Amino acid sequence: MAIVTQYYLVLSAAVFCIGVYGILTRSNALMFLMSVELLLNAANINLVAFSFYYGNLTGQVFTLFTMALAAAEVAVGIGIILVLYRNFEDIDVTKAATMRW
Amino acid sequence: MTSRPRFATDVNYANGTAALALFGVLAWTFVNADFLPPLGFGEGEVTRSIGFAMFDMLELIPDGHGETEGFLVAFIVIAVVLDAALDGAVMLARREGEDESLVTALADGGRRLTTRERDGLDDSGPAADSGPDPAADSWEGED
Amino acid sequence: MAGAYDFVPAIAALPLLAFVVSLFFGQYLPRRGAEAGIVATAGSLVLSMWTALTVAGVTGSATTYNENLYTWVAGLADSAVTLRLGVLVDPLTALMLLIVSLISLLVHVFSLGYMNDEGETGLPRYYAGLGLFTASMLGFVFANNLLMAFMFFELVGLCSYLLIGFWFRDAGPPSAAKKAFLVTRFGDYFFLIGVVGVFATFGTGLFAPIEGAETLHSFPELAEEAIASGASEAGVQTFFGLGPEAWFTVLGLLVLGGVVGKSAQFPLHTWLPDAMEGPTPVSALIHAATMVAAGVYLVARMYGFYLLSPTALAIIALVGGFTALFAATMGVVKQELKQVLAYSTISQYGYMMLALGAGGYTAAVFHLTTHAVFKALLFLGAGSVIIAMHHEENMWTMGGLRERMPVTYYTFLSGSLALAGIVPFAGFWSKDEVLYEALIHGLGSEGSIGTLLLAGYAMGLLAVFFTAFYTFRMVFLTFHGKPRTDTARDPEPVRWNVKLPLAVLGIGAATVGFINMVPVKKVTGAEIDYLHKWLAHGGIELTTSEHYGELLHDVAHIEQAELGPLAPGAVSLLLALAGVGAAWTLYNVPEPEEHTDRLGGVKTLLMHNYYQDEYQVWLAQGVTVQLARAADKFDQGVVDGVVNGISSVSLFVGSRFRRIQSGVVVNYATLMTLSLVLLLLAFVVAGGVL
Repeated sequence: MAIVTQYYLVLSAAVFCIGVYGILTRSNALMFLMSVELLLNAANINLVAFSFYYGNLTGQVFTLFTMALAAAEVAVGIGIILVLYRNFEDIDVTKAATMRW
Repeated sequence: MTSRPRFATDVNYANGTAALALFGVLAWTFVNADFLPPLGFGEGEVTRSIGFAMFDMLELIPDGHGETEGFLVAFIVIAVVLDAALDGAVMLARREGEDESLVTALADGGRRLTTRERDGLDDSGPAADSGPDPAADSWEGED
Repeated sequence: MAGAYDFVPAIAALPLLAFVVSLFFGQYLPRRGAEAGIVATAGSLVLSMWTALTVAGVTGSATTYNENLYTWVAGLADSAVTLRLGVLVDPLTALMLLIVSLISLLVHVFSLGYMNDEGETGLPRYYAGLGLFTASMLGFVFANNLLMAFMFFELVGLCSYLLIGFWFRDAGPPSAAKKAFLVTRFGDYFFLIGVVGVFATFGTGLFAPIEGAETLHSFPELAEEAIASGASEAGVQTFFGLGPEAWFTVLGLLVLGGVVGKSAQFPLHTWLPDAMEGPTPVSALIHAATMVAAGVYLVARMYGFYLLSPTALAIIALVGGFTALFAATMGVVKQELKQVLAYSTISQYGYMMLALGAGGYTAAVFHLTTHAVFKALLFLGAGSVIIAMHHEENMWTMGGLRERMPVTYYTFLSGSLALAGIVPFAGFWSKDEVLYEALIHGLGSEGSIGTLLLAGYAMGLLAVFFTAFYTFRMVFLTFHGKPRTDTARDPEPVRWNVKLPLAVLGIGAATVGFINMVPVKKVTGAEIDYLHKWLAHGGIELTTSEHYGELLHDVAHIEQAELGPLAPGAVSLLLALAGVGAAWTLYNVPEPEEHTDRLGGVKTLLMHNYYQDEYQVWLAQGVTVQLARAADKFDQGVVDGVVNGISSVSLFVGSRFRRIQSGVVVNYATLMTLSLVLLLLAFVVAGGVL
């Protein structure tokens, strides 16, 4: 019996919220990036689930593209973390708080 | 780096409740949604169709394919974007006022090198510095 | 061909043009703007004479003219008020136009001698001021509604300020100009409220009705109808629950505030003696003959309205009589030539107000005319003396100028005889008629108004003695006796441009009384009361003196007693001669002394002008400043406090809100997630799932 679409979506939501949880609570910048990866992959699950639901392969192709983009984004993100370290001596995201009132 | 991951105790749990609330709303919505049975992919292999579709060559598939469209333009765009991202990452990682070589990427694990040390390293010439050198050794030994 | 009435606005426009020419091009002209002024006022005089002839009926056109020429603010709804500017020409207007333009022309000619020949600087400004003043005064004279009259009233006040403060680099003139402006402005404040009140009550400010396809009623006409048949019948609205008569009294008294200020009556008389800081031609034109006449002219213009309220008339008469006596006593002790004349002006305008209050319309207008002539003459004569004495004004430094300045002496003597009221000079006839009207109306009317008019008469009669006394004290100290200083022994000669206006006015002071010799008419029966006839006829029936006489009798219940004019005339003449005689014995000696020192403490009181100046300063500082301070506290504390409080709320909320921007990105992400949750919930609820 085929897996009902709702469960794919719940899985996607769960992965997404784990990623959001990681973003909100983690202070380490690298952990922050890993959580962003989780978000992107949750979206991928969603895309594939709907691709199967509508019978259209476009969703899967789109997923491939997003995976490539996620990799590129991580590359840039790690570069940003490098610059962050140079300016603040620490990769704690809560320490970089100079853009405030 | 050799110790196993520990459970994170220094997190700010208060912020996390927002994520939990989000999951609650999403899951509740999804579970209560009405969906028809999924349609499935029809005839033709999935992977083969994806490959041909990537380069706008759908008509060349002899046995028919699933429903999709051509993605050549998107493919080229993504290639360009990836290239740009790579250059961006390198630019961010480069230090200010340094020369163009990639030697700067071999930074000393984050320890700030003094000017003399850097100059000393550079004076020996770029060729001598590529490959394992005292900087790389000290990196190995530091951790 | 166009009638004279089409050119009436030009009577005021010509001096206005002279003002512009003097202001912008005066510095290039050889006489610094005097040419423009003389040409313009001469043109105004010619046009005024033509207008007067037309009003007299000589040219065959209508004898009066009342048109609205320009709509300033159009009323929106049917019952809203429309503000217009227009021209009213009737016998009173024509007479006043003649007076103003003639005196203005003579003052311009005199200024050539007083200002140009003495080498004064800043003359373009002077002639511009004179031109603007003449234009404003003429505009005031032919204004056909109360608002337009108010506008020009204020303009003449402004010109008075500019001209008094002409020599602004000295200390005295700017202060005097400020005082003049402020004291008259105080009165004008009540006038403005009165104007608004008139418009609110009647919906119109017209002095006389305009006939035509749609008759526009005037407010005296509407007021008369309201008294006769009730306010609502006439379409008139009263306020504060007052009946028509009480409300019209209030309005009349409000307008009277401006009149009292402008005509320098008690208590707003304190500015006029200080205004003598200005050049003497300015004093002659503005503070003797024309601007101070504006107040009296306004009451005469609105006389149909004032007659409906006996209370207002009684107050006018009382104020006038009191001022006449009050100012005359102060003039007795003054030492400077122009100061005596200033108090004399205040006193004589008191006579005119007395006449108006007593119902003597023709008498008041007559005295206005003769006073304009002889007071301008006296001021110009004083100016001539001042030029001769090198701008020395104290009479005790003069003396013996009679032989050295014959033209000035004889014309000044003519003016003084007129002022003192000696027959047959002009002042005798007019002052005598004023007192006669006050007497017969006082004797004839019943009740309190009769008593008040008699009190006014008594004060005016007593003032006759003082007037004659100080006038001839002035003449003897200045012209008779032995010269007391070197400058008096060898005065500077004056030229034709000084002597010509003096001569013209000197003849006028001697002869202008003949236009209305009522006693002679009563005795001989000859119809020689020309002024009376002039004011009695006219196309607009409601502004004739006959109509005023009817109103006086019917509405104000002021009757005339049966008394011949000879006896009262003889009494006032005797008093005047007694005053002249007293001055003769005391001052017509080779070396006069200051006899007023014998008055002792009374002299101190009079020299300090009954401490009225100190009293007004105390009112300003002790009362007004305190009130202003309290109002300022209210403004800054309550009004500004509310505004500042609102802004402080905003600042406080802002200062608390900005702490959301902690700089920590994770907090921003938390807020975004929470908002996303809420948004999703909102969509779910709106979508009807819940």
